[in-house]
Amino acid sequence: MASVQLEAVHKTYGSTHVVRGISLEVASGEFIALLGPSGCGKTTTLRMIAGLEALDAGTIRIDGQEVDGASGRVPPERRKLGMVFQSYAVWPHKSVAQNIAYPLLLQRVAGSEIARRVKEALDWVRLGPFGDRMPSQLSGGQLQRVAIARALVGNPRVLLLDEPLSNLDAALREELRGEIAALRARLGTTMIFVTHDQHEALALADRVAVMNQGVIEQIDAPQRIYQSPQTAFVAGFVGGANRLEGRVAQGRFVCGGVEFTLPPGLTAADGPAILAVRPEALELGGVGPSLPLLARLFLGSATEYRLQLGDTVLRAVGPTLDVKPGASISLGLKAAHLYPG
Amino acid sequence: MKRASWALFAGLALFFLAPLALLLWQARDPGLRWTDVWLAPESVQALAGTLVTSLGAALFAFTVAVPLALLIARTTLPFRGVFQAIFTLPAALPPFILGMGWVSLANPRAGLLNLLLGPGTFDIYGRLGISFVLGSAGLPLVFLPTLAALSRIDSSLEEAARISGATPLRTLFAVPLPLALPAALSGTALCFLFAASAFGVPYLLGVTASPPTPTLTTRIYGEILMGQGGLPRAVVLSLELLVLAAGVLVASRALARRGQVRLSSGKGVSVRPMELGRWKWPLTAAATGTALVLVVLPLLAVALTSVQPVWGQLTGLSAKHWSAVLSNPRTIDATLRSLLLAASAATLVTLIGLGIALTRRRSLELLAGAPYAIPGTVLALALLIAYSRDVRFVAFERVTFVLALGNSLWMLLVAYTVKHLAFGARNAADGLAQVDSSLNEAARLSGAGPGRAFFDATLPQLRATLTAAFVVTFLTCVTELTLSVLLIPTGRDVLGTLLFELQSYADPGSAAVIACAFVLLVVLLQFVQSIFAPKEAR
Repeated sequence: MASVQLEAVHKTYGSTHVVRGISLEVASGEFIALLGPSGCGKTTTLRMIAGLEALDAGTIRIDGQEVDGASGRVPPERRKLGMVFQSYAVWPHKSVAQNIAYPLLLQRVAGSEIARRVKEALDWVRLGPFGDRMPSQLSGGQLQRVAIARALVGNPRVLLLDEPLSNLDAALREELRGEIAALRARLGTTMIFVTHDQHEALALADRVAVMNQGVIEQIDAPQRIYQSPQTAFVAGFVGGANRLEGRVAQGRFVCGGVEFTLPPGLTAADGPAILAVRPEALELGGVGPSLPLLARLFLGSATEYRLQLGDTVLRAVGPTLDVKPGASISLGLKAAHLYPG
Repeated sequence: MKRASWALFAGLALFFLAPLALLLWQARDPGLRWTDVWLAPESVQALAGTLVTSLGAALFAFTVAVPLALLIARTTLPFRGVFQAIFTLPAALPPFILGMGWVSLANPRAGLLNLLLGPGTFDIYGRLGISFVLGSAGLPLVFLPTLAALSRIDSSLEEAARISGATPLRTLFAVPLPLALPAALSGTALCFLFAASAFGVPYLLGVTASPPTPTLTTRIYGEILMGQGGLPRAVVLSLELLVLAAGVLVASRALARRGQVRLSSGKGVSVRPMELGRWKWPLTAAATGTALVLVVLPLLAVALTSVQPVWGQLTGLSAKHWSAVLSNPRTIDATLRSLLLAASAATLVTLIGLGIALTRRRSLELLAGAPYAIPGTVLALALLIAYSRDVRFVAFERVTFVLALGNSLWMLLVAYTVKHLAFGARNAADGLAQVDSSLNEAARLSGAGPGRAFFDATLPQLRATLTAAFVVTFLTCVTELTLSVLLIPTGRDVLGTLLFELQSYADPGSAAVIACAFVLLVVLLQFVQSIFAPKEAR
């Protein structure tokens, strides 16, 4: 177990500035998720911690020891980390047991000890009888379990996970998500988890860092990220809020030719603003403007309504109503967030 | 990595760029007008010979290979696997052996076919025969890329044509054919280049034809044999061949690129082969006939020739050629020499090719591929001019080392290696491109340094492609003829030159024994390679 510190880390590829001054403190034993859309720099950040990419400016420390920065770079093999890759990266020419034994072999652990610890690691990921199988005989979910066992067997200081679940189908993803949580509870290893799936990040992590265009927009506990997003981007990315650009005028939000009454407790000075409102926070048939219905999508537990507002499409979620596309529905604001426009 | 790239570049400069530059320099002989050489009647005839036979071979290969590829890739033709293996086989055989087979079959006086059907029915000598034999030898150059392109076409494209109202036949012409055409045409251009660079077959079927049918390669060979007087003319003629090769390569690249954009990557393509219905058996018969005539018949003829007591007479069977060849110290020496040279060249090609691919420098890869495109006769001539005398490297007014390649087997090793470097570099680069970099990164995170991670994680994934590079280079070099006849030290033989000499001048029966042994070696090595191929492709 170890802490990780990033200080003003920058990375550029050619003319694109992928990571723009990220600072992050991960406490020993903490589980942090880096969440963001593709291209936001989250994987690059993880690879810099792993030592697979060199940083252009800034400092990275693991357990207080500088591993990349002004005084040089420690190569990945000497950082004592474990990593799980999106593509599994299970070596196809080694058996499951040989794959898992490899880090121990390089640590010069004695043969009998290796056998014991490989068996233990196989049990952690519930692959007990599969040690002699070749990777080509395993399913995707089993391969990713091998990768997790291999990353954990050498007692890494930090476990890095690069979108480990995104190559799996929905049911397996759910299952493995639970196993990662259980393993984490049992081993207490510091973990840094990269994902573009908000549900994964919110469900697993102690703290979530939401990234966008190379910077961390907000880093907080999952509940706080969800309940009080600090930027319009975070509100939109986590929770799928509608983003409306308009202006605040005397307790009302004006946008696309209509006016919404702001919900109680939400106040702002008059002027241009961005309003973020989650689909479930729009009150169907509430007090507010009437908007034409474009489409109605039955989701099972609820129904989604697409409504035309100016030149944007508004998404609202609520109970199933007997309305047909073309009809109008009035909308009220139950809750919303305002950001400076 | 940077130092390694420079070392590789220096090696290629020394053994490829410098000889080529010297060749061009040599052509500036003031006493020799280029146009005089080019416009001499023999030269015009040789150029015409090269153009006609190469064009003929390319057209023949295209006409035969494209329908075959369509049948094998897109229909339910029976025995598709067997047909594919048979039509790929000429790629692993020296064209000279097919030529020997056809001499045994269709020599106007003594060919087996003519003995059966009356003298003079078939005559394999001359331009038509050369085109035919080079066309069958170059068939895989068109067949394989066309087949690959065709198997990357998803059947839903054809089904969309059927739903739109096209008949099966019309669908074939509307969808797979135009999509695979760029690959087929670029293969045809390569087949043209292959035929224009060929030396053994035009020599075998052209020089002794009546009237003689020269080509550029056999003319250059003749001029070199004439010694000092002929050398400048050989150089000037080789420029013609060089320009021809460059032109064809540019055309082939352009054609191949046109095809690239339209085909999917090969992942998740589903091919539902088309039912042939009542055409099934007529088409199977046609494919069988083609396979028999183009591949099986000449090889059988070679086998038969090796057990015929007197060439050209059907008088019982005899093992006398076999026992004579197998107990002849000259044959044994040549075989050992060839095996050693080919194994060394194949090892060097594989290792240097891997080195070049690892630098990931496009310029170096292109440079390594260039010698293969240069006709062997030209490459041999360039090396001959550069290194027939010792080269002293002088630094600080002292000789640092002497490169003494002239008249030694080292010259052949250099030539084989340089010529076939493309096999190693291409295979290694393709192999590396398929290895997910995270395999190597996972080893680094597990605690392995860069070298250890390469050996433990990356190299094992390259086993199949590197073995393939080794085997292909080995097979090509073990009976290599074009470079060998020009660069072999006097008084020594390798298998290629021995085969050439026995077939051309003395003893076709013994040549047939060597050819049979080689075909057996090809089959054996292909079996070995299939063992090394990845057991379960995922």
